Amino acid sequence: MMSNSTGQFIYLDHAATSPLLPEVKSAMLQAMDFSGNASALHTAGHLAHNAIEEARLEIAKLINAEPDEIIFTSGGSEANNTVVNIFAGQNITTSSIEHPSVLESVAARAHAHQLLPIDRYGFVKDDFTLSPGTAFVSVMLANNEIGTIQDLKSIAKIAHQQGALIHSDATQALGKIPLDVKKLGVDYLTISAHKIGGPIGIGALYVKKGSSFKPLIMGGHQERGRRAGTYPTVNIVGFGAAAQHARQSLKLYTSRVKPLRDRLSRRILQEIPYSSSNTPLEFADRILPNLLNVSFAAAEGESIQLYLDAEKGIVVSTGSACASGDGRPSHVLMALKNDAEVAHSSIRFSLSPGTTAADIDAVMSVLPGIVRRLQQISTVKIKQENL
Amino acid sequence: MPSYQTSDSSAQFTPWIYSDLVKQHFLEPKNFLMGDESKYPHNCQGIVGNPICGDQMLMMLQVDSETDVIKDVKWKTYGCASAIASTSALSELAKGKTLDQALKISAEDIAKFLGGLPKHKFHCSVLGHEALAKAIANYRQKPQNPPASS
Repeated sequence: MMSNSTGQFIYLDHAATSPLLPEVKSAMLQAMDFSGNASALHTAGHLAHNAIEEARLEIAKLINAEPDEIIFTSGGSEANNTVVNIFAGQNITTSSIEHPSVLESVAARAHAHQLLPIDRYGFVKDDFTLSPGTAFVSVMLANNEIGTIQDLKSIAKIAHQQGALIHSDATQALGKIPLDVKKLGVDYLTISAHKIGGPIGIGALYVKKGSSFKPLIMGGHQERGRRAGTYPTVNIVGFGAAAQHARQSLKLYTSRVKPLRDRLSRRILQEIPYSSSNTPLEFADRILPNLLNVSFAAAEGESIQLYLDAEKGIVVSTGSACASGDGRPSHVLMALKNDAEVAHSSIRFSLSPGTTAADIDAVMSVLPGIVRRLQQISTVKIKQENL
Repeated sequence: MPSYQTSDSSAQFTPWIYSDLVKQHFLEPKNFLMGDESKYPHNCQGIVGNPICGDQMLMMLQVDSETDVIKDVKWKTYGCASAIASTSALSELAKGKTLDQALKISAEDIAKFLGGLPKHKFHCSVLGHEALAKAIANYRQKPQNPPASS
């Protein structure tokens, strides 16, 4: 049953990278003709400059920021490293389920690193006290593996009350839920283009006017001296087009995507023995509408992932160590469940407005059989009578 | 309504990350044991790895006590695609060999047989090999099956 010979996938891995949107691609193709360096004063340069500033405006609008509060970076990881670097040598607090570009950057740069625990559903406990002298707090808005949305408003308030500045990695939340930096009360925010159908290699850091800043990449006047390097015009234009599209399609995540995610979760939990959700579905308004992370007891995640790919061209992710190649289970699932087997047996589905009911049904036409077979050949014991 | 399909239908997606042979053994693994292993007649077994580390392998053998030849191999795993494919390959290679010959099958032999494995997946192919060695050791520990004199 090979269906990917045509190059057509049932693509349910949008949280990893969402394929380039056609309107983004055409905007980028147009921008490829802006041959000038955007910093140059001649007409060619000015055309590129204008295109960049238009994109900046679109991106600012998407998160309710001012255009000059947006600094373009090479992606979310650079934005996260940049903001952590501002507070190098100081006391930094993060949650235990941040992206590695925050966790490892803080581990390398902070004087002291405080980790905020999560509860059993994946939410940062909002009754925390910062350790004395904390200068900076970083808590992601929505988690990339399980989709929990943190109460950033309250977390920002606590941080500010205790004299710290607050950053949020909103890479996964962007375009999926309404995002307003002023309402959230954050000082810094990370976003990235390729999670919303934009190009890979471009992201941005929102820096609230007046907040501390120091550049990570030095040696140029670009971005008002805050990020050196020739402007990647084509990527920035692509990011702008994706931002415009995201603003227009935000409502679809409630009207179309969430019901499909719910259909998928309902069917999996009902039809597949020993399946359990790592996404806390009971908190419907505190999880991303497009994401579902499930574990299948005794069935290994990477094998499930590859059987889905091979049998029906279904593209998903796994929190299993083997897939990521680093030999360790996902730190997010470990923080959540503290059970390596749950982590190794997990699959993440992430949908988009392009996902259809037929896609969900296609998953359910093969997934129960795949899991059943893996459970039957598994050395991990589960009750055999139900297999 | 904008289209959300990948924009370029002419784009060729990268094929399977493993070789065709790995894929074949993954999709249709040979000699694996479905369900309850206690019903499978065997005279030795070896289990290695740990689900906590993400993979575990059980191998069971039927050995001819006269000739030392492996008459049949069955295995189970909680493991990734590489573990499944490489153990499938190993089980095919081991069948019909004497215990001494089977012990000489190396992890490299398995990878070679499968047309290569990604470097970070090599560990997964070693697992089946270790399970086989442990099963053979288990067989030879039994007083009625002393190690073959060589």
